[in-house]
Amino acid sequence: MSRYDVVVIGAGLAGLTTACQLAQAQKKVLLVSTGGGALLLASGCIDVLGFQPATSKQPVTDPLGKLDAFLAEAPDHPYNIVGKANVQTGIETFWEIIHNSTALEYWGAADKNWLLPSAAGAVHPTCLAPTSLANGELTKGGKMLIVGFRELRDFYPALITQNLNEQDLGVEAASSVINAPEPLAKNMNITPLELAKAFERSDFRRKVVQSLQGQSKQFNRIGFPAVLGLKQHAEVLADLERMLGKTVFEISTLPPSVPGRRLFEGLKASFLQAGGRLIIGSKVVEGLIENGRVSQIQMETANRLRPLTAENYVLATGGIYGGGIQTDLDGQVWEPIFGLPVESDSNRHTWFSERFLSNAGQPVSQYGIQVNEKLNPVDSNKTPIAENLFIAGATIAGADWTRGRTGDGLALATAATITKQIA
Amino acid sequence: MKKSTEVLVIGGGVTGCGVLFDLAQRGFKCILLERGGLSMGTSGRFHGLLHSGGRYVTNDPDAARECIEENMILRKVMPHAIEDTGGLFVTTPWDPPEFADKFYQACLNVGIPVEEISISECLRREPLLNPDISRAFTVPDGSVETWEACQTLTENAAAYGAETLTYHQVVDILVENNKVVGAVAKNTVNGEEVTIEADLVVSAAGAWGGKIAAMAGCDVTVYAGKGTMIAMNYRMVNTVVNRCLPPDDGDILVPIGSVAVIGTTSVRVENPDSYAIEDWEIKLMMDEGEKLVPSFKKFRALRAWAGVRPLYQEKSAGMDLRDVTRKYALLDHTPHDGVDNFVTITGGKWTTYRMMAEDTVDLVCKKLGTERPCRTAETTLDPPHGQQKFFKLTQRLEKLEKGELDGQLICECEIVTRPQIEENLKDNDWNIINDLRRDLRVGMGPCQGGFCTYRVAGIMHDNKNLSAKQTNKALVDFLQERWKGMRTVLWGRHLRQMKLDEGIYMGLLGLDKLPNELSGNDQARIGEVETEGFYEIEPDAAELSTAAK
Ligand SMILES: Cc1cc2nc3c(=O)[nH]c(=O)nc-3n(C[C@H](O)[C@H](O)[C@H](O)COP(=O)(O)OP(=O)(O)OC[C@H]3O[C@@H](n4cnc5c(N)ncnc54)[C@H](O)[C@@H]3O)c2cc1C
Ligand SMILES: Cc1cc2nc3c(=O)[nH]c(=O)nc-3n(C[C@H](O)[C@H](O)[C@H](O)COP(=O)(O)OP(=O)(O)OC[C@H]3O[C@@H](n4cnc5c(N)ncnc54)[C@H](O)[C@@H]3O)c2cc1C
Repeated sequence: MSRYDVVVIGAGLAGLTTACQLAQAQKKVLLVSTGGGALLLASGCIDVLGFQPATSKQPVTDPLGKLDAFLAEAPDHPYNIVGKANVQTGIETFWEIIHNSTALEYWGAADKNWLLPSAAGAVHPTCLAPTSLANGELTKGGKMLIVGFRELRDFYPALITQNLNEQDLGVEAASSVINAPEPLAKNMNITPLELAKAFERSDFRRKVVQSLQGQSKQFNRIGFPAVLGLKQHAEVLADLERMLGKTVFEISTLPPSVPGRRLFEGLKASFLQAGGRLIIGSKVVEGLIENGRVSQIQMETANRLRPLTAENYVLATGGIYGGGIQTDLDGQVWEPIFGLPVESDSNRHTWFSERFLSNAGQPVSQYGIQVNEKLNPVDSNKTPIAENLFIAGATIAGADWTRGRTGDGLALATAATITKQIA
Repeated sequence: MKKSTEVLVIGGGVTGCGVLFDLAQRGFKCILLERGGLSMGTSGRFHGLLHSGGRYVTNDPDAARECIEENMILRKVMPHAIEDTGGLFVTTPWDPPEFADKFYQACLNVGIPVEEISISECLRREPLLNPDISRAFTVPDGSVETWEACQTLTENAAAYGAETLTYHQVVDILVENNKVVGAVAKNTVNGEEVTIEADLVVSAAGAWGGKIAAMAGCDVTVYAGKGTMIAMNYRMVNTVVNRCLPPDDGDILVPIGSVAVIGTTSVRVENPDSYAIEDWEIKLMMDEGEKLVPSFKKFRALRAWAGVRPLYQEKSAGMDLRDVTRKYALLDHTPHDGVDNFVTITGGKWTTYRMMAEDTVDLVCKKLGTERPCRTAETTLDPPHGQQKFFKLTQRLEKLEKGELDGQLICECEIVTRPQIEENLKDNDWNIINDLRRDLRVGMGPCQGGFCTYRVAGIMHDNKNLSAKQTNKALVDFLQERWKGMRTVLWGRHLRQMKLDEGIYMGLLGLDKLPNELSGNDQARIGEVETEGFYEIEPDAAELSTAAK
């Protein structure tokens, strides 16, 4: 008898949401991960499809509606394998988890993108966003004041507002840079997390509002870098809105991401509440496949290997960025835990395109595990390699989020697909 | 536009800058033309080593002698541009053991201060070196800051009235009755043509020397010998470390700023403006690095770049490039081609630029019928801008530790602060991010600008009154330049770092979706943001297929 129904490897968006759903469906779930995944660095929003075609500069406003057109153009994208219905289920299930079992609030629907300002003043089309970010919706128009702190080197309000204004988006933006109040005053190298903690103090907030006195009057909305509190974010936001008498919004900035951390903590708490078991800081180093099934995996703890067994296994190790796909100087590309086959070219010259900001995606980012509709790994003849092993998120071949901004949508869609089969 | 001068110098590498200073100090009216920024040719794409001569001591004692003499002079005349790292020659298990004694004796013969040290002493100084090293010798190698040196030379020349025109590409040499009378240059920023009349023209165009000579109808063969180097993300040694063997690929490791650079290869290429970094070069260098420092491959390769050695040959033949002499060629085109008032200086080494300049200007004097002694070996040069402009990592670290470094830390790897950037922005008008990279080394450290590029762009936008589009374009161009150097060395952890950068610039900032097309005027302000743009390091299909074999 296995101790667990499911072991999920990787606590990124794909692993966490799969684990949450399965735990909520009364499965005994163990989630093992070396770290917290891309979530902790990314915007905190859920991108499903932002641009179609991927090279277009015009944001998509209806992600689900544009999905077919996107897939026709990118037949190798794994959205094609999970299908449109699972993309929609993924979004809905995520929303339910957030609303039913966390203190967070996310807004949106599969057929509508928010158009939010980025920290460079670009338009970020995204499907689901937390309240504070959604408040920055650009199509609402009006006058917005974007506030930065002299002490925070990762946010440049003048650049943001000028880019927003020059794109004629219907908003009128202005910028202001203020000094951070005590206890952060003159600490020129503060991080977004330090600021977020400071914002949880009411005296800090009061002083911030004081510095904006006289400046904020003519604006409908006041925007800040995404540093408005961590655990007490909802109170921080409400309090600032009350004191300023305006809608307040956040703009995601350089890592570490405060909204990303809120989401990570929310999903983690929800998983634990549903009875899941979580190990963060350990690495799964090996998995054994016998007779078409995974029989056990080995987890590295402080100084020894620990075998783990379960009925089913979910590999959500995040592709090249997460560590789920490895590469080396000699042009080898491999999946390090199960040694699953990865189709690749050993000539490293073919891995990259000439441009860095390539909307077609770097060829190397397409490398990953081939899967069937159940998301079992398959070999080159499309024969499943292990029927109780499922691949989620960025480790799947073709799952390059830069193509159309599809990373979070895929993580959620694969989580939904897998949950259906195991739960 | 028309200008006139006594002597016109073509090429703003270290040789041209050295010639300009020497001319100016000897009282000539002179102008220098460089098609890019200063030191953006081979002088900016080299290994950064102030040679002691040890590298050449067995196979080319004359070149070695030149190196050690100049090494000692340069330490006196431009100390601010030199880091006295010292050098080591070490015998690893892969090196012929009998070479060590030959090397030692040859150093003594040439007059290179050499000393054998014990292995334990060697490892005490450089703990990461291979413990199986069997012999170790110290020599006075150093490292040089080329950008700072070239700036020093042109600024000191300016004090004598010399003029330096960067972003001016020579497109024609004016010849009348077999006499050179000037040159035509094109301003690469605004397209304007400038004609400069001169009594004499010196071509110091390095590997491009043949092309310039051809413009005057002269026949000069300069081979382009490509050499590739890789910067690693950690300063794993504080001393220049050479393998104790006859010169070979990947035999020197040089500490520069916060990184260490392994090099080089040596491959003849047809066109100094277009060559590829080949995969075998990368692999070979990584393998050779591992022989010097056993944990070498555990560090990350940050970027690879290549430069082209100007290798002058009287007659062409298919020989191994390492046998072509590294000594320089000074050509008087009167006897050489029957063309008067024209001189070519090419070849040599960075380390010997001053000696090359002295010889060149001696010849200029002779040709112009005047006698003016050279004083460059005795003249200590003023640092550029009273040393405000350039910052050294070691100084910055010291200040940081003492708590004397004020302001926001913008580039954590190279310890560059916001006030330093703002100060630097004051006297820069275009090529902005790249100039910062050159002067302050912003974005040159282990993170390769992942975070600081956005910060610098934000500061630049605030300080320089740039339009949003200009800022977007500067950012995109900078990232693209960096991409060219990076993509040949992306695997493992560094590839993951690249995915993070993609997340920042595409996912979080949406830079790829922002407008950045500039109209005429905006373009002129930002300039062509290309340091390495002349050198299209795109893998060429034919070269790739041979490399794969
Ligand atoms: C800075 C940044 C910005 C981004 N912006 C966008 C965007 O705007 N739009 C978009 O669509 N996408 C974006 N993405 C991508 C998007 O976030 C990812 O595609 C998505 O979150 C992938 O989730 P994942 O769960 O598959 O992988 P990850 O989040 O990478 O999670 C993988 C997890 O697996 C763990 N792991 C790996 N190997 C092992 C092992 N052997 N043992 C145990 N654990 C292991 C890791 O620690 C990690 O927790 C961005 C990514 C980054 C980094
Ligand atoms: C890989 C490598 C490593 C090296 N390492 C070392 C080392 O560690 N130590 C050392 O001492 N030496 C080293 N060298 C040698 C040294 O770098 C060169 O000898 C030296 O930099 C040559 O300087 P230069 O000024 O003659 O040429 P360059 O620096 O190439 O200058 C010529 C200039 O002419 C300009 N130019 C070309 N055409 C035109 C035109 N039409 N109009 C206007 N301008 C034009 C170019 O843009 C260029 O800036 C190395 C060389 C290579 C290739």
